Amino acid sequence: MIETLAWLLLWGTVVGLDLVSVGQVMIARPLVAGTVAGAIAGDPVGGATVGAVLELFALDVLPVGAARYPDYGLGAVAAAATAAGAPGALGTGIGVCVGLAVAYLGELGIRAVRGLNTADVRYRREALDAGDAAVVRATQMRGLLRDALRSAVVTVLGLAIAALVYRWPPVTVQGAVLVTIVLIGAALGAGATGGMRLSGRGLHLRWFVLGVAAGVVWVVVT
Amino acid sequence: MNVRIASALWRTLLFQASWNYDRLVGVGMAHASEPLLRDLPGGRTGEPYREAMCRATEFFNAHPYMGGMAVGAVARAEHDGLPGEQVRRLRHALIGPLGSVGDRLFWAGVLPAAVGLGLVVTATVSPLAGIVSFLVAYNAVHLAIRVWGLRAGWRSGPAIAQELTAGSIQQGLRVVGPIAAIAVGFALPVVAEWLAEEFQMRTRLSIGLVAALAIVFSRWIVPTFGTLRFGLAAAGFALVVGWLS
Amino acid sequence: MSIVLTRVDDRLIHGQVVVGWVQALGAQRIVLVNDEVNANDWERELYRLSVPAGLAVEFASVDEAARLVEEWGTEPLRTILLVGDVETIVRLCGRSEGIKAVNVGGLHDGTARSQRLSYVYLSEDEARQLHTLSERGVQVTAQDVPTARAVPLDEFA
Repeated sequence: MIETLAWLLLWGTVVGLDLVSVGQVMIARPLVAGTVAGAIAGDPVGGATVGAVLELFALDVLPVGAARYPDYGLGAVAAAATAAGAPGALGTGIGVCVGLAVAYLGELGIRAVRGLNTADVRYRREALDAGDAAVVRATQMRGLLRDALRSAVVTVLGLAIAALVYRWPPVTVQGAVLVTIVLIGAALGAGATGGMRLSGRGLHLRWFVLGVAAGVVWVVVT
Repeated sequence: MNVRIASALWRTLLFQASWNYDRLVGVGMAHASEPLLRDLPGGRTGEPYREAMCRATEFFNAHPYMGGMAVGAVARAEHDGLPGEQVRRLRHALIGPLGSVGDRLFWAGVLPAAVGLGLVVTATVSPLAGIVSFLVAYNAVHLAIRVWGLRAGWRSGPAIAQELTAGSIQQGLRVVGPIAAIAVGFALPVVAEWLAEEFQMRTRLSIGLVAALAIVFSRWIVPTFGTLRFGLAAAGFALVVGWLS
Repeated sequence: MSIVLTRVDDRLIHGQVVVGWVQALGAQRIVLVNDEVNANDWERELYRLSVPAGLAVEFASVDEAARLVEEWGTEPLRTILLVGDVETIVRLCGRSEGIKAVNVGGLHDGTARSQRLSYVYLSEDEARQLHTLSERGVQVTAQDVPTARAVPLDEFA
């Protein structure tokens, strides 16, 4: 149990760092973060399910320029931990619900880190303006450390919420299924909104519609 | 590839580590450029190195994957001995175009396309196959662009525009948007089917209804509300209903 | 009607503009008003390479823009007018009745500027100039991307 939690904490920290600070190899995508977290918690399919639902929400985020965004990767880690072990439709909705809340916490954390980084570079303005390589390096490392701390703290909060939900489920069986239905619907809506926004008004929208049509045909045929 | 380029490449992975509102990724830019500036005339104690480092920490922004291109081009300009003001000008002129190319290529192209692939494979094959196919497809392009970008910048310096004219980049930008649109479109019904597998027809219709509501609400009624908050509000509503019934 | 967005952004053409605003507004042309860019072949080339095919980009110096802005407003192409600083936008608004709203999309670190929003830094003088515009009936708001809230001038300057 403790070992599983330690692995989830480590995974959450790495996932949180990947979003902005290190590499961006996209292990922070909820599909990846959720599936792996599910595997750690012993339920890879449950993890993949909540991961896929959160991935649809994440499709509606275009991180263009310096715009802000929810941390759906950390959300997916908490969601997978919540959903692990609950059979199918019972865990998905509550898991995703926790995931959305944690994604928002993650975003608040990003803003806090950015604020602290800003205070940091103001404090060291002279050394940075003078191009001091040691200060540059140290500033980078402190930024990294802050983000690692943010990721770890948000992961711990997420796991705590998961444990509370597990201990005292806030819903009846029907309630849990209802939440699952509503959130799968909202996620598909978010994914479609993202797809349309991605396509704009022009020609690409036709490609999007074509893709949807092909997907429907595929589903019907197989 | 020589050691300094490898070192700079490694550091471009940390391009956004100290993201802040004052300089955005200026400090990350300086950090990644530093290995390439070390062998300016006079070495690390020389005046050219000191001046180049002063410029390197100023306000900068770029797409994280394209940052290496700026790192290479600006470092090359410093080695060519361009006057300081011209280096600044080059640096500033790269901010918009590199952001624009990177956002179009990755955030609006390769990423959603690979996500579509990953979702479809997850739903039709297995979750493991899904995340592996996503990560491999995405990072093959991502890492190739990082390596190419740094070397192209370092090769061309101020003539960086000619590298972006390269057939493969312009071709890639043309096709990646439509591919992403098709992939996301295709993935939606396939994932919907997978997620709703265990439900009856009536339940599926309810899911479709909520999806339609979500689209109408977040696309036309209150576009600034965000789908995250829509999801949370809808789930809260469902919780209350489930609790009362 | 054909100037669909008038934006002040020191990064000029970048992702928020071509991925965010161009898509959301269905823009067909960007007019970039900036003396330095207009004077440099390689800079113009760089910006031209970074926009999607099918989106026209034109460049103008501030003087040319002051002369042409009225005309742009009557042409049928859906146009985004993009400038890099407050001074330019004040000048263009003085030349054209067609500009009814100004979007502050990003102004960053600089000497004698202070932070107003996460992406907006203004000097006292720039803040005053924006208020003058507002008093003349131009609606001034800050908004980085189309899905964000438009922040009214009184909240940031």
